[in-house]
Amino acid sequence: MFPHWLKMLKKLNKKGNVLTENLIFIILNVIFLMILFLFIFKQGEGAIILEESYAKQIALLIDGAKPGMIITLNMEKGMNLAEKNKISQDIVSISGNVVTVKLSEKGGYSYSFFNDIDFTYYRYGNNYIFTIGKKEVKENDA
Amino acid sequence: MMLNKKGTEKLLSVYWFLILIIIAGGIFGMVYVFYGYPYDFRDVEARTLTNQVADCIAEGGELKIDVSNFDLLRDCGLNFKDSTYEEIQYYVNVEILDLSKNAIRQFEAGNKNFVSSCEIANEDYGKLARCSERSFYTTSEGIGIKIKILSVVRKTEKNGRNN
Repeated sequence: MFPHWLKMLKKLNKKGNVLTENLIFIILNVIFLMILFLFIFKQGEGAIILEESYAKQIALLIDGAKPGMIITLNMEKGMNLAEKNKISQDIVSISGNVVTVKLSEKGGYSYSFFNDIDFTYYRYGNNYIFTIGKKEVKENDA
Repeated sequence: MMLNKKGTEKLLSVYWFLILIIIAGGIFGMVYVFYGYPYDFRDVEARTLTNQVADCIAEGGELKIDVSNFDLLRDCGLNFKDSTYEEIQYYVNVEILDLSKNAIRQFEAGNKNFVSSCEIANEDYGKLARCSERSFYTTSEGIGIKIKILSVVRKTEKNGRNN
């Protein structure tokens, strides 16, 4: 009934439909997986998580430090995030015995340490350097 | 037959997406549970505090403190003040015992209310303070003594599960 070329075209069209359906299905799956992975990676790199982990790490480093130690802490991830969030000031600040790490405009996480020692800290590239000295005992303290 | 096959394929893809949604839900849930709670550093902090006190009390198997004029905070270089909390979040207790386990001297600093937390271990354990107890033998003027150090760190709001 149908000419041969029409049958061929119908066949081609049908095959095309199957291919399109599969293609859309695969693309949707890939998009879905990408969103999932992106979500997982983003969760671990959020400002809140990083601020907390850096503040606690620094507090523990100071707690376990002994006079004469020089501690280098790589904070590349945090610095990149702070740059992205347009934080111009130092991301680490220590007041008394409380460490505060700030990686976003509204954020900031503070954690205290118990080791009563003298130390200096400064930024060097992507690292923070902590130089631990000995606490000078005042005459009236002793 | 062809129609049935097509129907089955479509049904399969619906189930496939349903499975994906369930997997995604599971992963979102796990990630939320993992990152939703703060990192708990209290155990490490309590152990560090114990080590610091132990280092300050004895060195090379010899007691290095003057027990008649010993102040834990001053002589061990400790500062328990924390502007982020209203009350002190640490407690340290040092007991000096003879070899018959009779107490000779005892020194303490910090908030004593947390000691009771060390003996409680129930499902609310995450909300309580964390403790580290360590004892070691040393000598003082040639006489053997035992030093027992108990360190307690609370800081529950910043380390424990607040639910």
